[in-house]
Amino acid sequence: MSRPRLAAIWLFGPALVFAASALVGVGLTLADDDAWGPVERRGAAVVRSETCARCHPDEHASWRRTYHRTMTQEAVGDAVLAPFAGESLDYLGFRATMDRGADGRPHLRIAATEAGEGEGEGEGATPLLDVDVVMTVGSHRYQQYLARIDRQGEGEVWRLPVAWHVGEGRWIHLNGAFLEPEGTIGAADDYLRHLSRWNDNCVFCHNTEPRPGARADGSFATEVGELGIACEACHGPAGAHVERHANPMRRILARAEVAAADGSIADPHALPPGRSSEICGRCHGNRIARDLAQVLREGDGFLPGEPLADVSRPIFADSAIGGVDGAPFAERFWPDGTPRLSAYEYQALLLSPCHQEGEGGGLGCGDCHSMHASEPSMQVRADRRGDAACRGCHDMSAIPATHGGHPQGVGCTDCHMPRITYGLVQGMISHRIASPDPGAWVGRDDQPDACTQCHVDRSRRWAAEAMARLDLRGSPPAADAEDEAESWASRALLDLYGGDPLQRVLAADALSRASATAPPRERMAWLVGALEDEYPAVRFAAGRAVAAVAEASGEAEVAATIARYDFLGAADGRLEVVDALRATLGPDPFADRPERRQRLLDSQERQLLWIGE
Amino acid sequence: MTAERHLRLSIAAVALFLAMGLWLEAMYGLRAEGWIDDPLRREFLRLGHSHGALLGLVNVALAWGIERLETPATWAGKIRLAAWLGALFVGVGFVAGGLTHGPTDPGPPILMVPAGALMTLTATVAVALVRPTDARPPAAD
Repeated sequence: MSRPRLAAIWLFGPALVFAASALVGVGLTLADDDAWGPVERRGAAVVRSETCARCHPDEHASWRRTYHRTMTQEAVGDAVLAPFAGESLDYLGFRATMDRGADGRPHLRIAATEAGEGEGEGEGATPLLDVDVVMTVGSHRYQQYLARIDRQGEGEVWRLPVAWHVGEGRWIHLNGAFLEPEGTIGAADDYLRHLSRWNDNCVFCHNTEPRPGARADGSFATEVGELGIACEACHGPAGAHVERHANPMRRILARAEVAAADGSIADPHALPPGRSSEICGRCHGNRIARDLAQVLREGDGFLPGEPLADVSRPIFADSAIGGVDGAPFAERFWPDGTPRLSAYEYQALLLSPCHQEGEGGGLGCGDCHSMHASEPSMQVRADRRGDAACRGCHDMSAIPATHGGHPQGVGCTDCHMPRITYGLVQGMISHRIASPDPGAWVGRDDQPDACTQCHVDRSRRWAAEAMARLDLRGSPPAADAEDEAESWASRALLDLYGGDPLQRVLAADALSRASATAPPRERMAWLVGALEDEYPAVRFAAGRAVAAVAEASGEAEVAATIARYDFLGAADGRLEVVDALRATLGPDPFADRPERRQRLLDSQERQLLWIGE
Repeated sequence: MTAERHLRLSIAAVALFLAMGLWLEAMYGLRAEGWIDDPLRREFLRLGHSHGALLGLVNVALAWGIERLETPATWAGKIRLAAWLGALFVGVGFVAGGLTHGPTDPGPPILMVPAGALMTLTATVAVALVRPTDARPPAAD
């Protein structure tokens, strides 16, 4: 071989061979139907988030920061937020002791105290529960714990009745997290009311691609694709997607628009707002399954990107289910149909004019929230915080600066998404975006309005008249709309003392906020009345509210007193704190009108709620 | 390719890819859309900028080496062409691949990079191995 030819082959040969191979690879890939044709996603394997991270490291990293990831975890290491260092919680005649076994695994033992007269009392008696914790649920507001207990069949995992409240840094009993009356001291059934089976309850919305595996004999063979809410909860099982993109030529040739349409994976951003929101609605909107038996065997059958209605229907106030008379879910909604519990955000969105009337499918969850471009708490998009949430659609320049008649600091969502939802032991904003119309509800005491949630020292009639003064759209109060109690006190105080348990929690939350218009001492004096509430959830909210107001207003004596208050503690201990606070803050607001106080208490009695989960 | 042209083009490549650095800095300073919000594009444009400039310098070194080691003309011209095209393919391949990228991977121009890398590698190895005597005809027995 001549030297010039040898030089050319040596210098350019390898590159030419590579180029030829690459061209062949490109040609074969372009001609390969499997690389570009439709893909059957249903039934595809779950590949888990670590596989997704190989190609989508940024998305994986942003997801890892979220509370979705830590929704369910193995109970090991940092996943366990509670100390489990021998703490105890006495409640309802039982003592829960949280410690660790010899292997370091968290352990829970529940036995009757001397005050209790129920099962498992006394030394040497069989404890009510004596279990190792195997998994954790939640990590943001409070963390619940799971244990393997074969109570009714093999393979069962049960949610335990005590939880660690992250913000308060204390143990709570779940009777205090849900809106239910306290129960009887020493009654094991009342104590274990929220000992619920994970396999056919929590597993669905707290894990990725769950399969309960219910068997005819009552046992379970539960499997999950991945613990927690991982990539494939929103994007669907990614086995087919990963298989297709194992070909590097396919990846190199795939432009974004082609990839979005290739059908091997669901991309919520590429879906119309309604369809995209269904992915969130799968869990943030309680549903009724079309085929419950199938769901308990195989999972809910929902494939992100396909209609949620194919497998279920969302629960609304008037939803009915076979075998149950009337509207069994009505108490989860306000009288106007607005959801009043969390995990119904999807229904609230569907009821919002912004969703119903918006262009191009209306407002969707992704217009305000992002799984990847947001702070972990609430996951509001960085470009949609505050009033920016509305600017995406509404031309703010067309809205007069005087709109609402409020000073700066009161934002769009304060009035249009008021905090009238209960969830995770606190008040939350409503996702039914609407305009306040207090005038339409004058004379009614069954639903809070946006105005009096901040104007806690005002009546609803005052709010209705203020709307007219501020030239805001609103109904004039009906001439015959009379509520005698309306003249007794502000709407918030009437709700706190005479509303149903949910109204009472929301009123306590409203009174705790810095934006509340009444003086701090007055608000605290009102709140003291709710420290004796029959519902532990209300007592929790009221105690937290007093502490928040005391701290914000520098009331050191009140702060020191309320620090001794235990909403789950024995009644005499709570009363001692109440008496001390009354001595500092003054008497009950209805002290000189006991008949009014009694009438409000009667109103409470008539409005018992039993809202579990 | 002549020695002078190789040297000039090599320095020009260094200048080109250094200038690209200014462009990238400016985009960063101006928070240019499609740059700030696109990590994959940013990564590949940076790779193009750094590889292009570095391989331009490698070409300058090779130009000096060819002269210093008296690489025979039958090899020298082709080495210069391979080395310079290699630098260009690598730099431009990264940049164009980043500008045309898909959801997770660079666009098709990225295929220029391995070809360019192979040419750069073979050129560098040739400068190291080819001796001045390799140009002479084989001695008659």
